[in-house]
Amino acid sequence: MALVIFENQTIELEEGESVLEGLTRHGHKIPSACRAGVCQACIMIMSEGELSNAAQQGLSAPQKALNYFLSCQCKPSSRLQIGRLSAASQQVQGKVLSKDWLNDSVLRLRVKAELDYRAGQYVTLWQGGEVARSYSLASVPSVDNFLEFHIKHVADGALSPRLCFDIQVSDTIGVQGPLGRCFYTARPHQPLLLAGIGTGLAPLMGILRDAINSGHTGPITLVLGAANAKSFYLQEALSILADKYAQLTLQFIARKVDGPESSTALEGDIYAFCAENHPDLKDYRVFLCGAPSFVQKMRKQCFLSGAGMSDISADAFLSFGK
Amino acid sequence: MSLFEDIGGEAAVDAAVDIFYRKVLADDRVSEFFDTTDMEGQHAKQKAFLTMAFGGPNNYSGKDLRDAHKSMRLDDGHFTAVAEDLVATLEELHVPQESIDQIVTILGSVKDDVLNR
Repeated sequence: MALVIFENQTIELEEGESVLEGLTRHGHKIPSACRAGVCQACIMIMSEGELSNAAQQGLSAPQKALNYFLSCQCKPSSRLQIGRLSAASQQVQGKVLSKDWLNDSVLRLRVKAELDYRAGQYVTLWQGGEVARSYSLASVPSVDNFLEFHIKHVADGALSPRLCFDIQVSDTIGVQGPLGRCFYTARPHQPLLLAGIGTGLAPLMGILRDAINSGHTGPITLVLGAANAKSFYLQEALSILADKYAQLTLQFIARKVDGPESSTALEGDIYAFCAENHPDLKDYRVFLCGAPSFVQKMRKQCFLSGAGMSDISADAFLSFGK
Repeated sequence: MSLFEDIGGEAAVDAAVDIFYRKVLADDRVSEFFDTTDMEGQHAKQKAFLTMAFGGPNNYSGKDLRDAHKSMRLDDGHFTAVAEDLVATLEELHVPQESIDQIVTILGSVKDDVLNR
């Protein structure tokens, strides 16, 4: 029987229930967001008992050694004594530097914060101590003296409307992380394929600039997909990069292309396009960022096209729900 | 020298696992069992399987194999398909026939556990 001892209370977990669910069922307010082990908003500390690997997935070695764990992923088999971990202790406080719209639904948010990270990783952003959502970093630490995020405005979202409309320049924002393993590592001559949809461009932009700044000499192809060519953004900044670095090729693929601003985009399906234009990915280093369905389908396609499993890095943007 | 060391140890497993996983994903007889949302997790399982098949250090017990395959309703055809995909992988990597024969023997020894018989 799984028992959780928390704040002088003994809670019996139901079959298959996570620690987070059990505590919430008993009226405890534990901050949480993704409930999938991605955002780490629900991190807690164990003082007695045993933690499974799943309960500590994605945590750093020091965090593991301190017996930190993710309460949403923790389904103990016996007795566990646990305590709160101040969410604030896991965050650095950042200050909003600038906000500007990249298209009609994506906001570029720049934040000043002390954070040691790799381009392409993500962090969990906090507002008011309880609303948390994960966002990829579009900045490169060796070049940019700010953190950059591409915030897709979701009208009924928990955090994005606040980031898009409420938060003001010089307001503070909590930054937890960095998280994730999708960042630039490659042999300098290795061809790179970077593919993404939507704000998958954010981490890809970081990885791309990190690769160039690290002296990558192999060819780099950035393939971006969208339902409508109108939703591409940062096209100008990207073409300036491509003009400057001959090794960089840009490919914009949209299912619907109309209007003059879309002249650089091709009409088509990104999967079919990649299958036709990148049929042999042997020895490629591949980065995939975007919705889980895209990442899953593209990972399989790239693997079957010859990319080694360990040469494919992916960041799937989980939908956090309510 | 053991079979595992003979064919190149962990490096041989690393070389084989991508090729083998591509083959089973493309094999209509068994692809449904390997096509999953968690490709990295599935890939890790294939690596553990190959390590065992190559006679390497592994923690598989007969019970593990039974439990892992219990709900899949596997039959001889499925087992043969995976074995053929593995042999084709080994041939592609130019593994000597003698070693392939030993690997096939190891596979045969776990057949009843895999098929829960």
